[in-house]
Amino acid sequence: MRIELAGVSKTFSDGHRALDCITYSEDFNALAVIGPSGGGKSTLLRILGGLIAPTSGGVAIDGSKVSFDEKRLIQYRRQIGFVFQSKGLFNHLTARQNIILPLVNVHGYTKTSAEEAADNLLNRFGLAGAGHKFPHELSGGQQQRVAIARAVAVKPKLLLLDEPTSALDPELTGEVLDLLNELRNDGLNIILVTHEMGFAKKACDKLMFIVNGRLAECGDSEMLFTRPKTAELAGFLSKVLEWNV
Amino acid sequence: MPIRRLFVRGDDGIASFFPKVFNIIIALLLFILFFVFSIKRLGMEFDFSFLWSFRFRLVQGFTATVALSLASLAVSLLLGFLSALANNSRVLALSYFSKVYVQFFRGTPLIMQVYLFFYIIGTAWGVENRFLAGVLILSIFEGAYISEIIRGGIDSIDPTQLEAAKAVGLKSGQTMRLIVLPQIIKRTLPSLAGQFASIIKDSSLLSLISVIELTQTIREISASNFALFESYIFLGLLYLSLTFPISIYTRYLERRYSYEN
Repeated sequence: MRIELAGVSKTFSDGHRALDCITYSEDFNALAVIGPSGGGKSTLLRILGGLIAPTSGGVAIDGSKVSFDEKRLIQYRRQIGFVFQSKGLFNHLTARQNIILPLVNVHGYTKTSAEEAADNLLNRFGLAGAGHKFPHELSGGQQQRVAIARAVAVKPKLLLLDEPTSALDPELTGEVLDLLNELRNDGLNIILVTHEMGFAKKACDKLMFIVNGRLAECGDSEMLFTRPKTAELAGFLSKVLEWNV
Repeated sequence: MPIRRLFVRGDDGIASFFPKVFNIIIALLLFILFFVFSIKRLGMEFDFSFLWSFRFRLVQGFTATVALSLASLAVSLLLGFLSALANNSRVLALSYFSKVYVQFFRGTPLIMQVYLFFYIIGTAWGVENRFLAGVLILSIFEGAYISEIIRGGIDSIDPTQLEAAKAVGLKSGQTMRLIVLPQIIKRTLPSLAGQFASIIKDSSLLSLISVIELTQTIREISASNFALFESYIFLGLLYLSLTFPISIYTRYLERRYSYEN
């Protein structure tokens, strides 16, 4: 999949400039967005997901420009899966209903075929016994797997994930990353904001490093991890990898 | 210490069934004995038998109170919902209108509102049916409380829920219907049930403008035979028969919701 960003900037109404003229184009299968907290990574992901509009600049996916007009945006969002850091599941619905709702109400599935699709995904993601449970009854790892199931159930062309494992214990992080890796191997295009450097390095082919709303460095993931060009990325990596085994 | 276990909770804060029932009986007995003792001190003898002869009027009054309360519940829910929406509106005048409404009706006694609205506003606008006037006054009063309950419910919705609704491609109307409303209802139901109990009790004040409901019926009966105490004790029991089941139901809803947090 090809992504093109042309001078994307975002200034919030309180005057905070979250993104400052990001220009980037790349073919990717899995793109990791890394950088210090508060640097604008989540804002960028929300723009890519069509959840907020950039203040200026344009976005194109596979050559087609994204229109940030609200009516067109609804169509655009429907082709994209989005997974939040936490609490993204509708908390008045069971895991199974969470998957079914967008299928029926957005994508026009019949109730029976939506149920079938939901049950298949729950089985595949190791959630067979969890379908009737409400989000608050699930572990953090299960919640995120259900959220991923809901996002991929509609067969999106692109899956966006905003720090999907940062609210999780280490052993639960593993189960979510394994699942993502499996989906990527099946050919799903993924962009994720993450602090899991091992996953960014080994499972993602491309990398963006964002600091203070600027694109500080980008390129092949493996390459950037072994030979960072900028002092900023080298410094960031030495800090986040300091206690790695 | 088996005797002690009969009177206190376990270390986990939970009482088992038998001590519960046993101690509820003790508490009720203490409560009743205090009343009986007070009555004996005054040397009064109570005779409730006259109530039987008023049974039809009492049933009528009881039915009127239930009807009044149900109608007021429906209208006050509507007013409260509109007011909560207005409060959160971006249109400033609407938002302040709602705030003034809530402040005024929560900040003044119902008895003042009943008189003022019935004799001034009711007369000026030609609302002559007392039952209708009663429902309106009570609904406007209770609507102010319900407005705050619903506003709290709206505020308690996590912004991520709305963002997630957007992300899966729901339109704003669908988000309201499928995500926001069900969550508000689930969260506010315990408080709304509690408010219904208040409506039932507060409806008694409508006797001041001679709406023939339960309290007014009792007032008329006791005025005719001077059996003031018997009448009002019975009145209290009738109100309890309505509010007690609601309070049990409210407790059940609260417990069910608290598990989810």
